[in-house]
This record gives sequence, structure tokens and C-alpha cells, in this order.
Amino acid sequence: MGVLMEVKNLVTRFHTQEGTVYAVNDVSYVLNEGETLGVVGESGSGKSVHALSIMRLIAMPPGKIEGGEVWFEGKDLLKLKSDEMRLIRGAEIAMIFQDPMTSLNPVLTIGTQITEALKLHMGMNDKDADNRAAELLTMVGIPDAKRRLKNYPHQFSGGMRQRVMIAMALSCNPKLLIADEPTTALDVTIQAQIIELIKRLRDQFGMAIVWISHDLGVVAGLADTVQVMYGGRIVERGPAEEVFKDTRHPYTLGLLRSLPRHDASTNRERLVQIEGSPPDMRQLSPGCPFAPRCTYKIARCEQEMPSLIPGPGSSAEHLKACWVDVRTNQPLPEAEVVHV
Amino acid sequence: MSSPAAAQAASVTSNNHEVILSVKDLKKHFPINSGVIIQRQVGAVKAVDGVSFDVMKGETLGLVGESGCGKSTTGRTVLQLYKPTSGSVAFEGQELTTMKPGDLRHMRRKMQMIFQDPFASLNPRMSVGNIVSEPLKIHNIIQNKVELQEYVEALLQRVGLNPYYVNRYPHEFSGGQRQRIGIARALALKPTFIVADEPISALDVSIQAQVVNLLEDLQQEFNLTYLFIAHDLSMVRHICDRVAVMYLGKIVEIGPTDAVYDNPLHPYTQALLSAVPVPDPMIEKMRQRVILKGDVPSPAHPPIGCNFNTRCPVAVPGICFQEPDPPLIEIEPGHWAACHRVTTF
Repeated sequence: MGVLMEVKNLVTRFHTQEGTVYAVNDVSYVLNEGETLGVVGESGSGKSVHALSIMRLIAMPPGKIEGGEVWFEGKDLLKLKSDEMRLIRGAEIAMIFQDPMTSLNPVLTIGTQITEALKLHMGMNDKDADNRAAELLTMVGIPDAKRRLKNYPHQFSGGMRQRVMIAMALSCNPKLLIADEPTTALDVTIQAQIIELIKRLRDQFGMAIVWISHDLGVVAGLADTVQVMYGGRIVERGPAEEVFKDTRHPYTLGLLRSLPRHDASTNRERLVQIEGSPPDMRQLSPGCPFAPRCTYKIARCEQEMPSLIPGPGSSAEHLKACWVDVRTNQPLPEAEVVHV
Repeated sequence: MSSPAAAQAASVTSNNHEVILSVKDLKKHFPINSGVIIQRQVGAVKAVDGVSFDVMKGETLGLVGESGCGKSTTGRTVLQLYKPTSGSVAFEGQELTTMKPGDLRHMRRKMQMIFQDPFASLNPRMSVGNIVSEPLKIHNIIQNKVELQEYVEALLQRVGLNPYYVNRYPHEFSGGQRQRIGIARALALKPTFIVADEPISALDVSIQAQVVNLLEDLQQEFNLTYLFIAHDLSMVRHICDRVAVMYLGKIVEIGPTDAVYDNPLHPYTQALLSAVPVPDPMIEKMRQRVILKGDVPSPAHPPIGCNFNTRCPVAVPGICFQEPDPPLIEIEPGHWAACHRVTTF
């Protein structure tokens, strides 16, 4: 598998009246062709802003991509002119959003909205575009597609709207699909339908997916690689099984421990809670953003941000940014730290 | 469900505890009106359509289901925030649906509510101290200002907020802190029964456990009874003693939490549980899912016969598609399900 996209030292900030919001701080990773990357984090962790930065959809001002590179097929997306970027958006990289009601135009029919991209990117005529749009709707499981093309968004349910969004996103066979919390607004039985659909389409088209979610369960079922974000940084990243089974960052560990499971009786044990609240993103601390809430904290954590490196005894792909070995609750030996 | 016998039996099975709340055949239909000047009723949204259950003193009963199934409407109708269309709600042996407004207001001291959205349920123009002390002023519990101040500060301390914040306004707090303010307000009158309507679903994952632990601690300390409305099935398993599953305005299954989760009887409960993802990639790979087809029908036009027949994987022609609706049947002690086919598939 070749490399599809490489994000290098991405920094995005918002300059607001209340001060500068340090939304994304030095995010770097590589995404392979056909890989599904699950990005997990809470609100304010920078997971959505990082995706919008890749798509260059940050409102500027107040936002600004202050640094970094996003290499996609030999081009740095952040350096492209806006009309060059427009050729990539929708055609090479497509995006679906959390709220399918606000991301569809309420005054245009579904057909108009799907065929727009087909005509623009694929140069299709009206008739071909209509036929292709009907095909796409059938593919995402909307019955009676020809007639439904003439319907407006309000005539569809939430789950159906998200299917329309997926059909639109896949209309030009993108190499990369960015899904920003696509099932968060949906009920759990509908969420299961959409996840099944995405899995089927992924196998059919072989596209890479960046799936952004706050739900560790959804990511566990879908992702090859999991990337946990906190305070605008990647704090842990690795193959899904390793991140869930051999967790190395205190934040990931805290999240997994605080989640009750519906498939096992807990006998009403007290949940292990993470104390405190998420950081104020207007104040960037020099140290680890999780340090104020962390139970493994050592003095160094508040002064110096640890780099994202493989932990002792974990595979080379499994990275974590922490000064402490959570298995032993001991600071990492100096040799390990300098090693990279 | 609607048969009084079923409701009767439901309370019999749990007679070893004191029943604090008894709901029988509760209905709440919202009218659909048409016409510009002369409004005529042309239909009704049957949000809650014949719900019966008991809540024992000191327990947590979970009410789960998807959006639009009527779980929040049930909670609000129980508290008489909506006037029920029909049915009865007895709280500590007193009938609420026919109670005079003055008596009902007095009763409200004992029944409080925690709301879902901590951003919409606190008045932005009132300070935290005023929000928390308002119930005490309305019911004239504490007249002395100094005492009131001390009581409010103690309450804030108890829910994990710094009493120093008493003069601040809601916008100065995070979602989790606001939910704590809402909890303090609900506790101010020392209620015995609290309806918690999705109290954690608007909060970040790392904050949810904090609020759930707080609710559990308060339950122990003040011997509270909760009606816990939620769509997060994992959290419901953790917090609830018994759970009722709702679909399209009706309870389709009710029973002790472990029984319902380990041995779901109704095909809807089975599908619902199988749809909930587990944070473990190994298990996720092995799981067999029941994927339901289609969406929930509109409660304005529920299907004829069993409400679930449009999506049910085990529905058979005939009985599932004709009146009457399947009644709640006790399959094992305390564990009830409303399905014609429950014993056969």
C-alpha cells in the first residue's frame, strides 16, 4: 500500500476577540491508500478543525492555518491556489458532516445537489448526470431513486439524508473520504445501518477514510488505525487492536476505563472518572495538555511536551506522547526519550 | 400493554419493595390541527400510547429507546408537565392526574427533574445562587437570607462546585459544571423522586462518568428514586436496576437490567443492543449484528397491529399485522415483553 496523504506539523489557530485559540498544534501523520483512520477526541480536541484544515475549509479570518504541509498525490494542499483546491475537493477528497440537515441545501432538490458535482468534476451532461445520480442513490440504499431525485431534503429522514450525503461524497470516486462525526446525530439502529453501508462501499471502492468520532465503540468496529487527540495534539496513535488492548496514554486509558459496557455486567461498580475538565484552548501550556487531569503526572509533564514516539515494548507503529510508562507508572528511562 | 391485568401483574411481581410511582395506561396524544382561522383537529401524534410501569422506592428505572419513541414525553407527563390524554399516575399513593393545581404544586417539592441540555435549561440572566435558591423561595422553605445563602453554598459544595461561584452566571461554566448546577437545583427541595431526562448525553465523554458517579452518590446519600431516560444503552446498564424499552409510544420490554441485556426477548431490544458498538476491536470483528431495515414510522400514523411490524425481522403475516397489539407477557419473573412471537422464535 502506498502513501496517500501525509500531514506534516499542521498548526491551525483562530484569532478571536477573546484571544487566540490554539486549535491544532503540530499534528503529523501518514495515511495509506485504502486505510481507515479513526480520529477520536472530545469537543475542542482539534479533531474536526484538523480535517477542515486539510480540506482548506477553515473560515479565514478568524481562522488561520499557520504552518505545516499536507501532501496529497505529490501536491501540498496548503500551497494550492483556491481554484486548484476546488478541483480536488469533491473529486479527490470528499467530506461528509455531522448534521445532514444543515449540510444539504433546503431549497434545492437532492437531484440538483448530487448532479452539481458530477457536471462540474466529471463533465457529464444533464441526462448522464441524472442517471448516475439515480445509480448512486440506489447504491446507498434509497429505494425508488429516480423519483426521489426530485425530492427536497426535508422529505428525507435523518438517516436517509446521511445516505444522500454519502452518495454525493462518493459521486466522483474520491480516493479519500473524510467523515466528521457522520453518525453522531443519528439513532443507534440507524447508525448501525450507516456503518454497514460505509464498510460495504469501502470494500467496493477501496477508498481511504478518515473517520472522526467521539465514540470509541464506533471507531473500534471500523478503523484500521486509531488516533486519539487531546488539546489539539495527537496523544496516541497505532493499529486499532494495540491502542485498545495495549493502551499507552493516560488519557486513552482514562476514557476506556470510564466507559461502561453494555455487553458485560458491571455489578454497579463505580465508574473510574477522569477528574477536571478539558483544557481552555486559549492558553497553550508548554507541557502536555492532559497534565492537569492526569493521575500519572510527573514534574516534567507540565514543562515539556513529550514527543510522539513508540512506547517501550510496543510495535513501531504504536506511538504515544507521554513521559511515563503507564504499565509500570514509572517515568520513561532517559535512553528511551533521547532515542528518537 | 393496555390491559389492566398486565399492569396489575407488573406491580405484583415487585411487591417486596414499596412502590413510589405507579403509572397505568398513560397516554399523551398531541393534536394535529389544520385550518387557518377555524382550527380543526385532523389527527394526533400518539407520543405516549398506553404505558404502564411501577417505580420502587430507591431504585433507578431506565427508560430507553430511539428519538421519537416517547421516552421524554413519558417523563414529562409523569411529572404533569404535560397534561395526560388519559391514564393514571399515582405518586406515593396519590393520584396526580386529577389533583388540584395548588396541591400539585405542593407535590412538586417531592418530584424534580434534571434536563438534557445544560445550556438551555438554566436562565442565562440569573446567577447560580438565584437559580439554585429559586425553588426554595417559591415553596417558602427558608425565609432567613443568611440561612438560605448557607444552604445554597452547602448544596453547591455537595454537587462538586466551588461555593465561591455563587454569584456567577451560567455562561461562565462548562457543560459539566452547568449540569451540576441543574442537579443542585433539582436537589434543593430534598425531593424523593427525580426524572433525569438524558442528563449526560450533551456532555463530553470524559465528563459523563463524573456526572453519573455524582448521581449515584446522591442517590445513596438522599435515598433518591430515579427515572433515568437515556439512549446510551451502556450507561443505562451501569446505572439502572430495571430497564424499560420503548418503541413508538409503547413499552415493548421491561425487566431487571441484567435480564434484559443478557437475554433480550423482544426483537427490537435485540436489534437495539446489537447495534450498540463496543470499544473493543476484537469483539467488534466477531459480532453478528441485527441490522434493522428502514426508519421508525411516524407516531401520527402508527402501523396496524404490532408497532414494530414494519421493521421486525421475525414478523409473520396475520397476527403481527392485525389488531389487537401484542400485550406485555411475563416470560420470566419480572421480565416482560410485548411480542406475539416471543415464545416461538
